Amino acid sequence: MDGAAGDVRAPLMGGVAEKAEGALRERGMDKEYMVEVIDLHKKFGFHEVLKGVNLRVKPSEVLVIVGPSGSGKSTLLRCINGLEHATSGHIYIEGVDITDHRVNINAVRQKVGIVFQSFNLFPHLTALRNVILAPVKVRKMDAAEAEEKALQLLERVGLRDKAHAYPAHLSGGQQQRVAIARSLAMDPDLMLFDEVTSALDPELVKEVLDVMKDLARSGMTMLVVTHEMGFAREVGDRLIFMDEGEIVEEGVPVEIFTNPRSPRARDFFSKILSHL
Amino acid sequence: MNIDERWKKVFWVLGSLLAAGLVAFLVVFFLRFEAGKTFIDEFFNGNTFRKSMPYVLRGLSLTVRLAVVSEVFILAVGLIIAMARISRLRVLRVLAVIYIDVIRGMPLLLQILIVYYGLAYLGFKLDPFVAGVAALTICYAAYEAEIFRAGIESIHKGQMEAARSLGMGYLQAMRHVVLPQAIRNVIPPLSNEFIALLKDTALLSVIALAEVTRRATEMMGKYYNVTPLVCAAICYLIITLPLMRLVQYLTKRLSAGE
Repeated sequence: MDGAAGDVRAPLMGGVAEKAEGALRERGMDKEYMVEVIDLHKKFGFHEVLKGVNLRVKPSEVLVIVGPSGSGKSTLLRCINGLEHATSGHIYIEGVDITDHRVNINAVRQKVGIVFQSFNLFPHLTALRNVILAPVKVRKMDAAEAEEKALQLLERVGLRDKAHAYPAHLSGGQQQRVAIARSLAMDPDLMLFDEVTSALDPELVKEVLDVMKDLARSGMTMLVVTHEMGFAREVGDRLIFMDEGEIVEEGVPVEIFTNPRSPRARDFFSKILSHL
Repeated sequence: MNIDERWKKVFWVLGSLLAAGLVAFLVVFFLRFEAGKTFIDEFFNGNTFRKSMPYVLRGLSLTVRLAVVSEVFILAVGLIIAMARISRLRVLRVLAVIYIDVIRGMPLLLQILIVYYGLAYLGFKLDPFVAGVAALTICYAAYEAEIFRAGIESIHKGQMEAARSLGMGYLQAMRHVVLPQAIRNVIPPLSNEFIALLKDTALLSVIALAEVTRRATEMMGKYYNVTPLVCAAICYLIITLPLMRLVQYLTKRLSAGE
């Protein structure tokens, strides 16, 4: 799949320095970064949601993204796996510029898993079939092999005994864990988490966070949009604070919590951390 | 409470008496009076019934065949038009809207005549069965496309996004994730359309297809009696009444499953 994506990007058009730099990346010579976002802008109509975001994420890094609602966190994640098209700027995933329309976005997406706030499990399929669907239909994986792998993944998220249950019969926390297993089934190199615990009852949050902690420990590169500051502090290697479409502050989570430099970050953290 | 019960009883008795009186009046009317006897003779003539019913009934297989064969094409064409209607390509969307609006704005009878006689003028002499199926498909595909579209749009967009984010292409996501859910939602309205279609095959009697209605009108001319039309009515009801119950049952079951 990587090869297919590479072929599409092979011909170079202009001779601009920036493009030449891109070419190096495209040939896989610079894979230092898992994700590289360069001057990303996103407009919905006249409303600019992202105003020039720059971001670099190294392999195995866990980056936590926080900020008030409407700050562009979710839009940033959605741009990174192509659910939203960037208005301008570049997004490189393992060196592949996904804003280039010649790139096979389906191939890139197999490498980038995303978990949504609203789970979005397929309600007409059992937990097991939810996990198997993409490997079988996209990867053309053998059904028996896919099933074995899916059961292992369900085991990993603690739901092997629910393999044959339909989403409607699972709790929110269980559905979200199946959703994580479903993403992992494609062997992604990068996982995006978009406020995955926000729709859950408080007592179900922990089981989902535990799965994510386990995943972080296993070396997965993760971008996590969350309001769970405890998780951010414990698991996050780095934290960025976004407000009004730009990155306001960036650093080690604890330092930003305890000593936010910008007034906007100070205001935000004073509001949410007072509850801890 | 007690008073209510007593009133209920009184209404029951009064109602029963009224019904009995009505039945008695009808019996007397139809058996004793000339107008009543004429009505029975014209609509429920035993002799004509016995002679024409087998002939009319034989048309039922053609009626059902027309409906079933058409339905297969309608589902396929309707789905394709629905996909065009929600396509990202503006050209496809506009074409689909034009098709749907134009077809729905015209009488089916006119479409049948255009397909059969219109094409004959151009030198394509279609077999009536083929022309009939074509006309029904052209017409009903427009209606069912709108049903499919509504069904697809009723599925939350998060489903498409989840599927796409796993690397599925648009059509793969449609086929494996969106459509299975959408189709479940549109089974009741589509079944109603099928019942309507089955009844509308009667219009094909104008292009000499020997289906139920055509045969009934033939017999009516032969025996100068309306009874064959009642035979036709019975033929349609044999099929449509159970179907309507089935649709009701399906609707209930599918909505209970949510």
